[in-house]
Order: sequence, then structure tokens, then C-alpha cells
Amino acid sequence: MHRALALAVSALFSTAVFATAVPGQPAPGFTVTDLSGKPVKLEDYKGKTVVLEWINFGCPFVMKHYNSGNMQALQKKYANDVVWLAVNSTNKGHTDWAEPGPLNAQLKQLGAAQARYLVDEPGTVGMAYGAKTTPHMFIIDPQGKVVYNGAIDDKRSTNPADVKTAKNYVVAALDELKAGKPVSTASTTPYGCTIKYK
Amino acid sequence: MAQRLIGLACAMAACAALAAPVVKTEHVEAQLLAERVAVQAGKPAVVGLKLRMAEHWHTYWKNPGDSGLPTRIQWVLPEGWKAGEIQWPYPKPLPVGPLMNYGYEDEVLLLAELTPAASVKPGRYTVKANAEWLVCKDICIPEKGALDLDVTVAAAEGPADPKVAAHFERARAQLPFDPSGWTFESAMAGKSLVVKLTPPAGAQLPQKLAFFPERELLIEPAAPQKVTREGNALRIEMKLADPPLTGVGEVLGVAVSDSGWPGNPRKAMAVNARVVASLPVAAATSASPSNGPSPGVGGSTWVALAFALVGGILLNLMPCVFPVLGIKVMGFVKHAHGEERAMRIQGWVFSAGVLASFLALAGIMLAARAGGAQLGWGFQLQSPAVVMLLAALFFVLALNLSGVFEWGAFAQSMTSNISARGRYADAFLAGVLASAVATPCTAPFMGAAVGFTLTQSAVNALAVFAMLGVGMALPVLLLAHFPALLRKLPRPGAWMETFKQVLAFPLFATVAWLTWVLGAQAGNDAVLGLLAGLVLVAMGAWMYGRFEHSAGPWRAAVALLLVAAGLVVAWPASQGAAVPSSASARAGEIAWQDWSPEKVAELTGRGTAVFVDFTAAWCVTCQVNKRVALGNEAVVRAFGERQVVALRADWTRNDPRITATLSQLGRNAIPVYALYLPGEAQPRLLPEVLTPNIVLEEISRLPSGRPATAITQR
Repeated sequence: MHRALALAVSALFSTAVFATAVPGQPAPGFTVTDLSGKPVKLEDYKGKTVVLEWINFGCPFVMKHYNSGNMQALQKKYANDVVWLAVNSTNKGHTDWAEPGPLNAQLKQLGAAQARYLVDEPGTVGMAYGAKTTPHMFIIDPQGKVVYNGAIDDKRSTNPADVKTAKNYVVAALDELKAGKPVSTASTTPYGCTIKYK
Repeated sequence: MAQRLIGLACAMAACAALAAPVVKTEHVEAQLLAERVAVQAGKPAVVGLKLRMAEHWHTYWKNPGDSGLPTRIQWVLPEGWKAGEIQWPYPKPLPVGPLMNYGYEDEVLLLAELTPAASVKPGRYTVKANAEWLVCKDICIPEKGALDLDVTVAAAEGPADPKVAAHFERARAQLPFDPSGWTFESAMAGKSLVVKLTPPAGAQLPQKLAFFPERELLIEPAAPQKVTREGNALRIEMKLADPPLTGVGEVLGVAVSDSGWPGNPRKAMAVNARVVASLPVAAATSASPSNGPSPGVGGSTWVALAFALVGGILLNLMPCVFPVLGIKVMGFVKHAHGEERAMRIQGWVFSAGVLASFLALAGIMLAARAGGAQLGWGFQLQSPAVVMLLAALFFVLALNLSGVFEWGAFAQSMTSNISARGRYADAFLAGVLASAVATPCTAPFMGAAVGFTLTQSAVNALAVFAMLGVGMALPVLLLAHFPALLRKLPRPGAWMETFKQVLAFPLFATVAWLTWVLGAQAGNDAVLGLLAGLVLVAMGAWMYGRFEHSAGPWRAAVALLLVAAGLVVAWPASQGAAVPSSASARAGEIAWQDWSPEKVAELTGRGTAVFVDFTAAWCVTCQVNKRVALGNEAVVRAFGERQVVALRADWTRNDPRITATLSQLGRNAIPVYALYLPGEAQPRLLPEVLTPNIVLEEISRLPSGRPATAITQR
């Protein structure tokens, strides 16, 4: 009886808590290796604005922003103001998993200009931030606070032509930050492919 | 009559026999269907987009859940024609790792109303639709199709096309119905969204249901939903998205019950719940886990409070609290034959001490967590300095009980010389001490309640911790109010001195345990420091007791000096060398390996069963389980036979990775035993108090008969 009860109780509460990086709260810290195997620590970028971009080239939503040149343009436009970290939380067993060699080639071919490309293979960073889709964008201000969590823009499609007419939330937030203003749209629904967590 | 004529004419002319072309993409076959063989000018008719997905591929509902995109249809119609919105059949929960999508597998027919222009002449017209859908399995492919459908307009509406009738019938059965006589209300409470469904009087309610909100970002789609029966109403509790949406005036969605609804065989009911400030809870008559979007259920604050109360009461039976309770029992014996009122007050003061400590510890923990630190319940014993101080304190108390010294004027000057007040200070202190050593123990029921607070607002969390304190203080409080039992004890006398001295030994045992904890945290040198310090403390206590009758301030001063010196000597170096937990297997023991989240991921990824023991040296319950259940011969053998890899996560010192993993398991206190079985997305959590049988029964779900060499396999 006791056992049955205890089991029932543990079943009742055994829920996977998928954390969320909430705007206004401190950004969860992490140390993770980048594509070249070097460790990257979020703490090291204190004092700088950090953009986290969840990425997976196997995802048509990501490719919409790379094939249209949109993502690379943003990475370059803000290169002086922000540290742009692309994060890949795809698990090794998934067909979307790519080895560093081909990935580097693809990044080069696309002209990607992120500061670092993080390999979050066990998905720890993704889970801590509550990253759900690729792309899913987070902005962390120089004080280490999350100031934006959500979609890259308001056109939920895979059509590269939509990039031109979409309202880009990341641009809006970064420009507001730069102007010393609070981010007016701090949270939106991310859209894209499910992140291929383990 | 006219209809029948047209039907006949159509049948002869085969006007309805023309099925629209099927558009085949890589993963979907799409086709437009018309329900009737002929439609009438100006009168709405129903058409549908049929999507047939390749096996295991899915398309999305209007709210796709955590990711995905709803299917879109853009109609290209003849002049003056109109097409309505998609009427969505209820979705199916589609879990993807830790995320959740809402959508359709196999086949779906998305219905829409098509209205020919009122002025249109009978004849055949072509209706075109550009449809776009995202189809996903473990990867996502955006696809589209240009579809067309020939629609016959006649003077009167034609009969239903028998070739597609079954499709439409099935699709209609999957549409949510608009209920009558029901009232819906919803409220946001803390981190939960509660939707209450009240049926018309006398209706039979389904036991299980799942709620799918139309609005994205309203709830956490992957979080379990909890359905409770409340009187004759159903209460669905869901986890709000973080941060919660603001300005939500109503919650729209569908409630899906596999067994249908009273008076309606359809499974999905449309829900439009006005958001009210709060939904008071009547006593829940039953709680049933939802079969909803994900397995398992969440918890309600009331259930958590109840568990906290029971857990708090059971805490008194846990080995950590025992020695301290001795002190309290001593107090009761002393005063059992005294004034009843004084005793009652003492009981309350003890409870206040317990409650204040629980709230203080919980407050510190919550504040630290809000600041981003990873702290769990029992965190204070993760600090070697606190462990050392507690060891010294218990040592002093034990010396006192052994009769090495009496508190005398020293303590009285600290509390007040009115003896009753001194007693109250004692009672409060006993409460504080009991809490300080009790918190690292998790009693049954308690782990779940404490874990629940992780997802709750600070107020709810504090309420749960306060309830734990109430539970723990309750037995003492009851004794204080019903002293009849205590009266059976013999009157105070010479035997009391012996009894008191006997009670010193559990305290000495506590000191021994804390010393071992310190050793695990800060290494062998710290143990030497502590023991040397305790020698100095003992000298101070002895001097204070030996020269009891000497006047002058030097006695207390020297005693204090010695104790202070003892503490300095005992103070652990901040970065002591911890003794690495040994992963080497001895014969007859489980081959424990060090835990890491990566290792769990790697092993479970390979389909290996993994047992994780979340433990700490300071967790006495953990130590008891280790000896009794995990050291049991049959259990050790079963681990080998079933090839279960045993990992030990040692929380003796604060480890944010462990704290984070525990919180993913919905826990914030140990012991926690997690068994990851192949093919199960979530680990099974075993009870806090283990017996060999519990472990064996869980392990026995695995196939056996494999060679027993697995136990040493690395």
C-alpha cells in the first residue's frame, strides 16, 4: 500500500521541466565547445550584448534566412555591437547532425558571420533556455539579462521572399538596445522546425 | 423531387463521378473533395482538402504547439464565390523529445465552406486552391500543391457523393461541437492556467481528457495536464508559458475526451472560457492523471500542500531528526507534570521555531534561485563550514547532556533569568535545530511536494515549505495539547539524570555522522581539523563545568576563548580536496560509476538501462537506502543480470548540474532514484524510501538472461 502510494505520488509529480529564459531574468550561464572544440563561456561576454541563434542547416526555416542572405546580413550588420553565437542542439543520432568538416564548408559557402558556432550536442543549453525551434532567437544584454526571446521575424514561413516584408524582431530589439531604450517586444512565439533534442 | 431528378441526371451524365486530381508531393497526397454532387447558386456547400501523409509524418493543427506551421489554403475562386475558414478537426498530441506538437498523422480532411456566387448559372466551374503545409517526421519539409476541383452548379443542391461520404462523415465526427448548457471559466493561478468545465446538471463526465488551446504561447504544450473532478465540474490545470501572455480575456480551445461527452458522441468539445480573477477550489473528489498531450500529470497546490503536511509529519520518523527530538522529549519529561499551560506554550514555541527555520531556509533558497544560483533543499549542508558549525554545536549539546557542564548563568544571561522564558528559548532553539538537521532528509510525499515548488510562485512555494514545517511540528504540538500520554511517564527524579545522559549518545552519533559528511566534502584534513577543534571545544566545556563554583568572569571568558579557538582550528579550508567518490566496484556491490548528464544521454541513447542514485553524504535517508536496498544481494545480482548501468550523482557539495537535472525530474530534494528504461522517454522515479523489493520489481521490467559480466563492463 505504502509502495503503491509512493509510486502514485512520484508519478504524479514526475514532470520534465523544460526551463525558459524569461526576458528580464538573468540569462542561464553555460560553457560549451564551439565547432573548433574550444570552450565558450557565456560569462566571458559579460559587458557585451549576446545574440543566441538556434541553428540547424537541415531545417528549411533556417535555410530561408540563410539562402536569402538575411541571417548573414544581420550577423555582419551587428558584428561590432554584439557577440553572435549560433547554437546547434541537434543530437548526434539525428539525420540533421553534421560533422564539423562539412558544417564549416557550408558555413563558409553561405558566408555565415557568426562569432562562434556552438555545438550543444546533449542539448543542455537549449533545454536551459527553452529553445524550441530553429531558428529561435535570444538576446542577452551587457548586464547578462535576457531581453528578447522568440522568433526572428513575424512571417512564419519557409518562403525566402517573405524576409523582405517581414518585421524583424531581432533588428528592432538590437536597435532599441543600442539606442539605450528598453526592448518593446521582448517575447514572441518562435517558429520553425522542432529542435532535434535527444 | 427536383433533387432526385438532378441526382438522376447527374448519375447519367456522370457529373459527380469526376474526382479531382491528386497532387502528390514527397510525403503527402493532397486532393480537394466536394461533399455533394452538385451545389446551388448562393448556397454554402462543404468542400475539403484531404491530406494523406506518409507513414509517421504529420501536418499541423491551427495551433501547431511548440514548433511547426498550420496548413494554409489560398482559394482562387470564380468571380463572386466565397470560401470560409478551415474547420479544423481536433488534433493529436505529437511529442517530439522534450517538446510537443499538435497535429495530424495518417490522413486529415480539412473542411471549408464554399459559396458559389448567387448569380452563377448552372454548369461546371473550376475552383482552385493553393495549399501549403509543413510536413514533419524527425525533419520538416515545407510542401505545397496547386489543387483544383470541378464543382457542378445546379438549380438545386445535389445529393451527397457516396464516394466521399465516409470521409466527410469522419471529418465531421472530429470537429469540435458547440455544447449547450455548459459553463466555462478559466483563471491564471501562479504558473498554472486553470480551465473549469461545468456541465448541465446530472451529466456524466469523462474521466480523462486533454485540452488544446487555440492560442499559441498560452501554455507549455509539453507540460502534463492535470484533470481533477471538482463536484460535478472538471478542472484542467496546465502550465502557463513563461512568461505568461498578458491581456488574455478568454481561453479558446478544444477539450478532447476519448470516451465522448454527455449527450454527444463526438470526442472534441469547443471551449470558450472567460478568464476570471480566480477560481476557488472546492474539495476535489478525485484526481486522475490525464492521458492528454503528454503522459503523467502536474500537481495542484492543494495536493502539494497535503503532501507537504504528510511529508512533514513523516519527517519526524526519518533518522536525521531523531537525535534532536531526544532533546525535545527531555523537555517534555521535565515538564510533563508541570503546568499544562506552560507546556502548551512550549509546544507552540517549538512549532514557531520549526516554522521560522523552514521559512528562512526556503526564503534563502528561493531568493538565491531567483538570483540564478542553483540551490536545492538541504543546501545548507552543502557548505563545509555549516557542517562544521553544526558538528560543533551538537558536540557542545551532547557534552551538556552528558553532564560535563551546566548552562547555568551563562545561558540565562543570554535568554533572561526568568526560567520560563529560558525554557521557551530552549524550545525555540530545539525547533530551529530540528529543522536544520531535518531539511536534508526527504520523507515520502515530501520530495514530490518540494519538487512542485520549483514551478510555483514564491508565495505558493513558501506555503508548501510552511506546511512541511507545520507537519513536522504537529506531533510535538499534539503532545503539548494532550499531555495525558506524558503523564504516564514516571515523575521526575534521579532517573532523569541517567536518561538525560543517555540522550547524549544520539547527539554524539550525529557529530560522528557530520564529521563523515565533512570528510566527503572537504577531505581528510578537514576531518582532522574538526576533531582537533572539538578537543579544544571539549576543554572549554570541561573548564566551564569544572570551575562552576568559582566567581569572577574569567571562567566564561576562558571557556569561550577555547571554543572560539576550537572553531578556528576546525574551520574547513574553502577549497579542500574532496575525497573523490570511488567508482571502483568491490565484489558483492553494484559497480557504481560517476554520474554526468552526458553519460546518461550517451547510455540511454545506446538503449542501455540506467539507474541513477541522487545522493549526498548528509542525506541520511540516502545512506539508509544504500545499505538496505541498494546493497542487498538480490538487488546487486539483478543489476548485473539485467545489465543496468548504475550511476551515482553525489550532491554532497553543491553541483549545479545535479540541481538542474533534479529540477528536470520535478525534484529539488534528495534522495531521488531515477531508472531510465529503454523505450521510455521519461525515467521512472522510485520512492524516497527504498526496499529491495521495490528496486527488484522495477528492474524486473527489463529482460534478463544476459551474461552477468555487464556489472564490470565499462
